[in-house]
Formats: sequence, structure tokens, C-alpha cells
Amino acid sequence: MAGICCELVESETSAPMEPTSRTLKRRKMELMPFKFMADVSVSSPVECSRKRHKLDLCSPSSSSASSLLLQSKRDSRVESCESKSQEENEGAKCNKEAWRLNNHDGEKSTNDAVQVYSPKFGMTSVCGRRRDMEDAVSIHPGFIQHEGSSASNQNLHFYGVFDGHGCSHVAFKCKDRLHEIVKEEVEVEKVDEPVVQWKETMEKSFERMDKEIQEWCDGIKTSNCRCELQTPQCDAVGSTAVVAIVTPEKIIVSNCGDSRAVLCRNGVAIPLSSDHKPDRPDELVRIEAAGGRVIYWDGPRVLGMLAMSRAIGDNYLKPYVISEPEVMITDRTDDDECLILASDGLWDVVSNDTACGVVRMCLRAQRQPSPPGSPGSEAVVRSAASCENSDKACSDASILLTKLALARHSTDNVSVVVVDLRRNYNQV
Amino acid sequence: MSSSTVMPTTSSSYLSSSVMENNNHPDRQTFQKFFEFWMVEQEQHRQQLVSATKHRHGRRTINVAANQTTASEDEVETVLIPLIDRVMKHYEHYYSAKSKCAKQDVFGFLSPSWLSSLEDAFLWIGGWRPSMAFHLLYSKSGLQLEAIPLHHLINGISTDDLADLSPRQLVHVDGLQQSTIKEEKKITEMMAKHQETVADASMVELSHMVTELIMLKSSHTDSACLNGGGAEVEKERVDTTLALKEEGLEVILQRADDLRLRTLEAIVNDVLTPTQAVHFLIAAAELHLRLHDWGKKREAQIRCPQNSTT
Repeated sequence: MAGICCELVESETSAPMEPTSRTLKRRKMELMPFKFMADVSVSSPVECSRKRHKLDLCSPSSSSASSLLLQSKRDSRVESCESKSQEENEGAKCNKEAWRLNNHDGEKSTNDAVQVYSPKFGMTSVCGRRRDMEDAVSIHPGFIQHEGSSASNQNLHFYGVFDGHGCSHVAFKCKDRLHEIVKEEVEVEKVDEPVVQWKETMEKSFERMDKEIQEWCDGIKTSNCRCELQTPQCDAVGSTAVVAIVTPEKIIVSNCGDSRAVLCRNGVAIPLSSDHKPDRPDELVRIEAAGGRVIYWDGPRVLGMLAMSRAIGDNYLKPYVISEPEVMITDRTDDDECLILASDGLWDVVSNDTACGVVRMCLRAQRQPSPPGSPGSEAVVRSAASCENSDKACSDASILLTKLALARHSTDNVSVVVVDLRRNYNQV
Repeated sequence: MSSSTVMPTTSSSYLSSSVMENNNHPDRQTFQKFFEFWMVEQEQHRQQLVSATKHRHGRRTINVAANQTTASEDEVETVLIPLIDRVMKHYEHYYSAKSKCAKQDVFGFLSPSWLSSLEDAFLWIGGWRPSMAFHLLYSKSGLQLEAIPLHHLINGISTDDLADLSPRQLVHVDGLQQSTIKEEKKITEMMAKHQETVADASMVELSHMVTELIMLKSSHTDSACLNGGGAEVEKERVDTTLALKEEGLEVILQRADDLRLRTLEAIVNDVLTPTQAVHFLIAAAELHLRLHDWGKKREAQIRCPQNSTT
């Protein structure tokens, strides 16, 4: 069961083998997207890949998710295989490819030294059928490390999906800052108590995030988003935030808005967050108690405007729309398979169950134990697959969900994060 | 259909013969004829593309049976790539002809008489909207994806069509889409600015002046206060003022057409594998050809409703 991965490598190898006319044209054209990507934005992912910020992934607390597609690496053995096969297959083309982070041979030694356990993950974030990209994804494996402990798997991992509205700047601020804020809060708290009170910590972090957005809005307007010159509209910008912090024992999901986290446990889809829609009964009560109204205007909307009842930003709808997250703490079990975080671009068209089913099958496609008496050739293919990218399965799963969302006519930006939670498999 | 002396057989021969005839000044009708030839050629290309995929499918089944998945590489190089190159050249040819003709008559190219009003309604600066290419790709990819049972996808059964977009390709498409939209917005903004200049001081002043002259003329029909010289000066001023507007539009149209061709080339040559590119080009041709047909049929219906039985 080489799965999707073998076929991927195959399709990519065809590129360098093309005859000259086409290859030449490709070369010529390849320059083009970069040329006009260069002026896209300050934090253009092209910049990142050009400067090879790829090392980001090795130093676990740095901001790694500036790319659209990320893959974590941890097992150096697996990784060396992976890098080699990728180098061989893609050669220079791989370097040219923007937005994708990969560790290459030169960086491997660093990686060996900083070898950190982190769950494998895959991530996809695309503009889809929208004209503006307002989603942002933030992934920081090992964003908090417990020094001193011999077991490196005491590290905490941060995964966040932010779906902006009005403009993208709130979502991007969250992507840049929220994990840092959480880290600061955890460190402050650790001075007093050894055990982190996650609910309070996360609520405080979201509150700080929201304040930062407000201050930033009130202060200098140096963003490069389209609302930059329209000061009054700056208040009408916000973002959802669904954040999962994965510790060795727990999954802490904090949610604000209508993005969602779903856990797949033993084949069953368990939502770890509950969407904040204005017509959710308790949210409706809260909004009305605060003096607000939910008006049906193309669906239920707070004051007839915002189609979610909580968000970061959106000053103009305070206090009806609040930034306080709902925090759900789940104990990890051996039956946990994966965690899916996604924006409503996915959830609007793909059910929790379908999403879990897809990811589960993608993960299993790579680890099926070889059936007794299976032919040797299959075993070879299988080992080649597992030796390839260690979290290729997660990446394949996230891409497949994204393609499924697009196929089902999702009209929104689609962002999907898939985290492999299988313990025995992760901690080889 | 026989406006030129020698009956041309291709769009390119048509255009060059017409240009020769008309002293290098192709007119609206010339381009209309060129367009008709071009559409016929597009249909021929479509057929070639379709038969290339069919041929390939046949070969692939054999290959799978013989467990040789790379054997069709030869075919990609000898059949698909030259075909794709030919189709892309055909698009290039269209845009270079358009650019040549538009220099003489930019207004005509912004509301093309050779298109139906259905196509007209979906025009962006005299042609298809560049970001539409990504919707076409996503839609076709989605249709091909939905045609496969989900477990096949998960188990990695290769379809070798647009359902097979790899992570890398999707990321590439996404980046390209965002930069295309950005560029598209920039050109739209240029157009907006330029359209606003239709009411700039020079135009307002000129229109007032000419109106006054007309009034004067009608009240003094028999007087000699307006001689031919005055009319000459007037016409010259109108021409030079409008020429400025025309120049601006020409630049914008050129940028729009550049973006269209660049987007197409980037998707076909940079993102997609040859087999996928063939599927994409088929979808593009089908949409283009059918929209034109439907528009023409509708127009015929509106003109004479009793003839619209089919």
C-alpha cells in the first residue's frame, strides 16, 4: 500500500524529464509568479522560502507557519531517507518551489541535534473560490519546552486556524502573536504553580490578543491590507480562532467563532469545539442579555451583520460579540487517531464524520501491517513509503480534505490542519 | 464568408492576407473573420486533445496490467507535449493578432461585435477574466475528483487527471491565483481611473464648446460665420482629445490580454503535468466554444422567436 505518496513522487518526476521546448518555457514562466508575488505583501511566503527559513521547523519555538504547506520532521532516521528521496526526485525544482518547507541535506545535522518529539502534521490553506485570502494558520511544534526533563516529549505543541472577515489583518495578527502570548501566560503562571490552569490561561491569552488588535487598530495603521486607509472600517474586521494545544496527556482546544476542531478517536468523530453561531440557544441568550439582537439577513447575524457570535476583533459589535473562548480540555487516550482543525470553508461542505473517515484512511494507508504471506514486492513498496516523508500521510489527508471541499463547491477559503495523535506510532 | 480574393484556410493565413489587402489596417470585420477561423481551429484542437486522452487511457490499462507505469513517458513526450505546445501557440497567435488589430480600433475590442451578448455579459476588459481560469481548474478538478470513489483516492489509485492535483501543485495554484487576482484588481483600478477621465476638464470643455457651435450653427443657418475652417479645427480637437483616451485604453487592454495569456501559460506549463494540462485545455475549449454557441443561438432566438424550435 504505497498509497497516495508513491503516486505523488511519480507524477513529480515527470517534470524534469520534459523535452526542451516545454522545459524552457517552464523556466521562463517560473520566474513570472515570483515576479508578481514579490509585491504581494511584506510577509510574502516567497520571501520566506527564498531565504530558506526552512530551519524554522528545527528550532521548535520559532514561527514556522509562514508557509502554506508545512510538514514536521522529527525522526532523523526517517528524515534522512525522506530528504534523500526528495532530493533525488525533484532536484533543483524542489528548491524553486515556493511556500513549501523542507529540510534539506545541509540542515540535517542541526536537526539531529535539536531532535524534538512532536506529532506529525500536515497543513493546507488555499484561497479557493474567494477573491481574498483571509485565512491564516499557525503551527508551532514544541512552542513550550520543559527544560531539564530528560524526556523531550514533555513539549507542548500549538496549532491554530484563524478565519478572518472584513480583512485579513486580524487573522494574520493572531497567527503571528497568539502562540507567543500563550507562551508568556504559561510562563508567568508556572512561577506560582507547577500545573497550568489551561482554561484561565487561554481565556487570558485570547483577551490579550483581542486587546492587542484594538490597540493596534487605534494606533499606527501600517498594515498593507485593503482597509488600511479606511480608519472607521478597521473596527469591522475580525477573525475566528480555534487553537489546539497538545500536551503529552491532554488536548486543550480553545475556540472563538465558527472554525472547528474535531478529534478522531477509534474511528469516531468527536467535536472538540462548538461553533459560535448567533442562533445557538445559549449564545442567543447571551447576546440578547447584553442588549444585542440577532437579525436574519442571509442567515442569523449579530445586529444583522456578523454571522458568528464570538470573534477576535470586531470592536464595532462589542459587547454582543465577545472574544472569550470556550475551552475544552480532553485527556488523550491510546485510541486517539488524529486531530483536525479547519475553517468553515471545509466544515460547510464536509461533515465531521467524513473528514475523520478520510484522514483515518489516509493515515492507515501507510501503516497497514503487511498481511501474512504477502509478496515481497509489496513489502518493498511499503517500506519505501514509510521511509519517505514521515508525515506525508497527514499532508495527504489535509490536501485531500481541501480538494474535497473545493470539489463540493466550497466558496470560501479552505484551511485544514491534520495532526497525527497515534502514540505508539509517533513515539517510535 | 468570401471577403478576400484567395480563400484562406487558417486563421493566420486569413489575417495576413487581409492585412495585405487593407494596407496593414485590419478592421473590425477582418478580426471577426479571423475569430471565426480561430474558433474552428479551436474545435479541431479540442478534438485532438480528446483523442489524445482516449489513446492514453487505452495505453494505460495495458500498462497497468503489465505493471509498467512509466512506459507512457514516451507518449507524453512524443504526443502530449507537442500537442499542448501547439494549442498554446494557437492562443498566443490569437493574442498577437488581437493586439495588432486593437491598435487600430481599441473601442471595437472593448465591446467586440463578434461575440454574443451572453459572452459580452461575462467580459472583463475585452476578454475572459483571468481569475476565472482558477475556477475552471477547481471545477474540473472537483468534477473529476467526485467521479472517483473516495477509498480509491485514499489508497492512492492514480487517475492521472485533474483530480490528481498534488499538494505541491495545489500550493502552486493557490499562489498563482492570489497573484493573478492582485494583478487583475490593479488593472481593474487602472480601468476605473481611466474611465473617470471621460469627464475630465478637457472632455467637459470640449463637449461644451462643440455644443455651443452646434447651437450657433442652427441659429445662423444662412450666415457665413461658420466656415469650413472652423469645422476642421473642431474635428481636430475632438480627434486629439479622443486619441488620448484611446491610447490609455489600448495600454489597459494590452495589460489585460497579457495577464490572460500569462495565467493560461502558467497553469498549463508550470503547474500541471502534461496529462493534466490536456484535461484543462479540453475544459477551457469546451467552455469557450459552448458559451459562444449558446450566445449565438439565443440571439437568433430573440431575433426571430418562431424559428426557435430546437
